[in-house]
Amino acid sequence: MRREVGIVGVGHPRFGKSSVSFTDMCCYAAVDALDDAGIKTGEGHGVDQLFLASMGAQMLNRQSGIASALVDTLNLRPAMAESVENGPASGASAIKLGYMAIASGMCDVVLVIGGEMMRVVSGWEGTDFVATMLHPIAEYPYGLTLPAFAGMFTRLIMEKYGVLESDLARVAVKNHENAMYNPAAHIQLVPKLEVITEDEDKDIINPYVAEPLRLYDVCPVSDGAAAIVLCAMEVADRFAKKPIRIAGIGQATDTHAVAEREVATDLLAVRLAAQQAYKMANLAPQDMDVAELHDAFQILEIVESEEVGFFPRGEGHLAVRRGETKIGGKIPINTSGGLKAKGHPLGATGVSQVIEIVLQLRGEATGRQVEGARAGLAVNFGGFGNNVVATILTKEVE
Amino acid sequence: MNEQLFAYRCLQCGELHHPQHFVCRKCGARQFEKVLLEGEGTLVTWTRVYNLPEGYMKPFLCFGIVNFPNGLNVSGQLEVDQPEIGTKLQTTVGVVKEGIGQDYFGFIFKAK
Repeated sequence: MRREVGIVGVGHPRFGKSSVSFTDMCCYAAVDALDDAGIKTGEGHGVDQLFLASMGAQMLNRQSGIASALVDTLNLRPAMAESVENGPASGASAIKLGYMAIASGMCDVVLVIGGEMMRVVSGWEGTDFVATMLHPIAEYPYGLTLPAFAGMFTRLIMEKYGVLESDLARVAVKNHENAMYNPAAHIQLVPKLEVITEDEDKDIINPYVAEPLRLYDVCPVSDGAAAIVLCAMEVADRFAKKPIRIAGIGQATDTHAVAEREVATDLLAVRLAAQQAYKMANLAPQDMDVAELHDAFQILEIVESEEVGFFPRGEGHLAVRRGETKIGGKIPINTSGGLKAKGHPLGATGVSQVIEIVLQLRGEATGRQVEGARAGLAVNFGGFGNNVVATILTKEVE
Repeated sequence: MNEQLFAYRCLQCGELHHPQHFVCRKCGARQFEKVLLEGEGTLVTWTRVYNLPEGYMKPFLCFGIVNFPNGLNVSGQLEVDQPEIGTKLQTTVGVVKEGIGQDYFGFIFKAK
């Protein structure tokens, strides 16, 4: 008998450049989440398990066994503790494992922390570190990177569906506008569409990173941590906040080498993960009121919006032009600012996306609130789409 | 440096793979034979990257996905001034990354 699971606490300090250690950064997020849930630290805290999601702490911060370190420094001993590494989808994977721990009956209360401290290394070291998830023979030694695959993917989508550079810029501007209302967002500025797309100096203001992708078509490099408290619905009345239910989770994988994909313009794992999550939640794409899609590159927001069923294939960019993905539109996407403007500390991202949906469903997304939101979808994308986790949250009927 | 690169053909069903897999993606068998990848290929998509990772002392590099006549798609570096989708390219194998004591060989596709 599977138990229902809800989210009763969230903690999301601002992403950007951390001035504290990796461990402390994670602890700040954790105590915010515990406070939000009304959990008193110290004896009687009731946390049964801690999961720490991070892609690169071992490589970037030369630290391992971090979940064990955190459980001690937060004085949650003797709670169970594990670290989770699933590339940039580590955060949503850790939430999935937290869900499983509670649904199975093994735990009642689970703390999930996602964190990444990427700005301690140089840009080229960081680019190299992220590229280590590519195929170790067929991709990585060539100097291929995630932006390189995103550039090649963008070119194919432009050829096939008529997506323009200005469509990518529209997605970026929308997400930057949303981030202005998110105090946790790394970048708090809004570029002007005509300056980044038409200005005579646009090659300087908005230079190419991986053609045809320009600077404003890719996410920044950020430090950050985010945390949530999960609980069994049957014990939810112990906590200060009303639970937001985890209604569905889906996860799917695809070929490791990107060139081996059967249809080069598809994000198959996104489609399969979303379908699984809808099925488990017994909901459909049109039931979603808000979504956080993994826009590490702006093209991904467009194609993911099609693969999760919001728009027909090849029409995501048309919906962007019509303003349907803005707040107030048909399906607001990345109200948090997305990875583009909120930042993308890899291990924290999946947790951060789920937090935005929780805030929207609670009605606490001040300034960027989607009125009456009852259900939301988060898509956390690992590798270049070779491991994707989709999570659907719903608000309990009063 | 007569380095060569291969596809891996399933001995049971004939499905080609690159890179090497442990289990055939089509029939599940586990025995393969090597097939030389050489000659001409068609450019499927490409990019020019300006923020290269550590270890590449160049201002930018071009990369592409190339389709071989046998149907296989592979990633590689491009040495082409103005790449265009659909162009026929010549397959060569060369040093794609210099390492300490060991260089890495891979596909470098060149204009015909």
